[in-house]
Amino acid sequence: MRLSLRNPLLTPGQIAASPSQRRGLPAELESDMRAYGCHLVQAAGTVLRLPQPVMASAQVLLQRFYYVAALQDFPLLATVLGALFLACKVEESPQTIRNIINVLDIVVKRDRGLPEIVTDGYDTEYYGMKNDMVIAELQILRRLGFNVQVELPYGLLVNYLRSLELTDQQRVPQLAWNYLNDLLRTPVYLCFQPETIACGAIYLAAHECRVCLPTSPPWWSLFDANGEDVVMVAKATRAFYLRALPRVMPLTDDELQMQLAGTLDRHIEAARIAMHSKARGDDDEAGGEAAGKRDSRPATGHGSVDEVLKRASPAPKRGSAGARSPSPDRSRRSRRLPAAGSG
Amino acid sequence: MEKYQKIEKLGEGTYGIVYKAQNRETNEVVALKRIRLDNEEEGVPCTAIREISLLKELKHPNIVGLFDVLHTEKKLTLVFEFMDSDLKKFVDASGGDLDPLTVKHLLYQLLCGVAYCHRNRVLHRDLKPQNLLINKRGDLKLGDFGLARAFGIPVRSYSHEVVTLWYRAPDVLMGSRQYDTSIDLWSVGCIFAEMATGRPFFAGTSIDDQILHIFKIMGTPVDPQAAGPVPAAAATDGEGDGDRARRLWPGCTQLPDWRRSFPAYPGTPLEPLLPKLSSRGVDLLRRLLEYAPERRISAEQALQHPYFDELRTAGGGGGSGLG
Repeated sequence: MRLSLRNPLLTPGQIAASPSQRRGLPAELESDMRAYGCHLVQAAGTVLRLPQPVMASAQVLLQRFYYVAALQDFPLLATVLGALFLACKVEESPQTIRNIINVLDIVVKRDRGLPEIVTDGYDTEYYGMKNDMVIAELQILRRLGFNVQVELPYGLLVNYLRSLELTDQQRVPQLAWNYLNDLLRTPVYLCFQPETIACGAIYLAAHECRVCLPTSPPWWSLFDANGEDVVMVAKATRAFYLRALPRVMPLTDDELQMQLAGTLDRHIEAARIAMHSKARGDDDEAGGEAAGKRDSRPATGHGSVDEVLKRASPAPKRGSAGARSPSPDRSRRSRRLPAAGSG
Repeated sequence: MEKYQKIEKLGEGTYGIVYKAQNRETNEVVALKRIRLDNEEEGVPCTAIREISLLKELKHPNIVGLFDVLHTEKKLTLVFEFMDSDLKKFVDASGGDLDPLTVKHLLYQLLCGVAYCHRNRVLHRDLKPQNLLINKRGDLKLGDFGLARAFGIPVRSYSHEVVTLWYRAPDVLMGSRQYDTSIDLWSVGCIFAEMATGRPFFAGTSIDDQILHIFKIMGTPVDPQAAGPVPAAAATDGEGDGDRARRLWPGCTQLPDWRRSFPAYPGTPLEPLLPKLSSRGVDLLRRLLEYAPERRISAEQALQHPYFDELRTAGGGGGSGLG
């Protein structure tokens, strides 16, 4: 029986040369930018209390998108906004444009050490982001040919853990779940079907916890997965943790130019100093010219993430079987291992 | 947009205007559904995203074909296979008096389309006569996937407000959020009865009223697992065992909106309500309108029901969904 709604997978040719790399972006920078974009989705989604499948879908959409479009043509921030907005609709957790923008804006500012000031909804920055987001949504739909249904491995993972009688295990389920979340930041979801990814996560988690699983016949054959692929997923998971996620990544065209010229970090630092002095009410114009256009707007509407949350619509009720990130992503900035839920 | 010449306006869809049009090159007649993209607070409508992303993948003789999606700055245009009518208009045009063989052909095609969706792990969630398109050849196709969604395993809770009231499954009416493919089969049952009688089978005006309409005909469900005495009416009704069994629904009292104060209706026999249906037809209807979702017949099983034997032995005889 053919399942036509399976996830589309990349061809070897597509994996070898992404559009961004063909346009000259260094491979490492691209993979960091993808990972950072996914981190933003996960972090903003956590604040918005979105169910994990929404955040996961958005990350897969973002990854898919940058295999048909280049980061040089479609800045990361707009795509993050568009992917999140779109995934909320596809997965039926609608969010207002304002909530998504405000929360994402705060998450970025926090990462960059900038004062966490909420956009007031009337300034040009807010309108710019809103416009970018609506356009990005349509671009993602167009470029992906409306192929925006994402099949995820979370439900499968739960079922597999149950049939392997691992649900009573202390660490294996949580570890495997975290791997699924973190793998979203890699192209793994575009290379393997969800069954294989779920098996790969269990494989590594069981290995880490020194839990033995049946080998003859190998347990994954029960779940229609191929042993070689399962090991590849496990290896990709391991490799992922070897590389630290930078805290500052270029989000706009201008920032990408600065990144390539090696000046982005300095620019952000200057903006940070300028904005902090402004936020303190020093009204010191000195830092003004160093701050980029994104940061030079008046600091109206002081607020915090909590304030944004209060303004946000009430959190969705917890569905009993609903997949959900087990705990907020607090280790985000300092540590990378594992990004969500290990607390 | 020059590729298509508009012929006439067909109506207003859930999110835009629908036109009949002709492809200038091939002369093929199509339906154009236009979606405006000027809603700044919403972006691309949710229903449009779901409809396109699912219909692009679902290709079946009993599902309306989506040929193309055209983008311009301000709008999206979906190019659909043209269908002459829908089941609601078709039933009305017959004065509510479809002949039994036509009903059988249409139901068979409806089930073929639903079975295909479910095989591909898609719930339609909004099956109703207006969404079932019919052409002059007597082909029936599922349309309007604006509320449909792909489901994963395990099926988790979905948004509440789906499925037009009259065709909504009782578990959904009583607040269940754990629904699955069975909700589409309840709708199929309601549509089957409507084709056979010419009138909506359970025509409620509100959620409560809808529940009572169902209970009056099918009987108030009885939870064998619930503690306490069996409601008086259930214990004393003079109906046969068959009708009592029909009312058993394990776990119904656990549904979020179940109320102890529901009146205990014994239910009425179905045969007199459906004089045009054979006893096999009534049996199939009963299985489609089974209270307990897990016991409700699946689309695949329904296609094997003896009610359709006539179509199988006669070797078709109209309707492309056969065979």
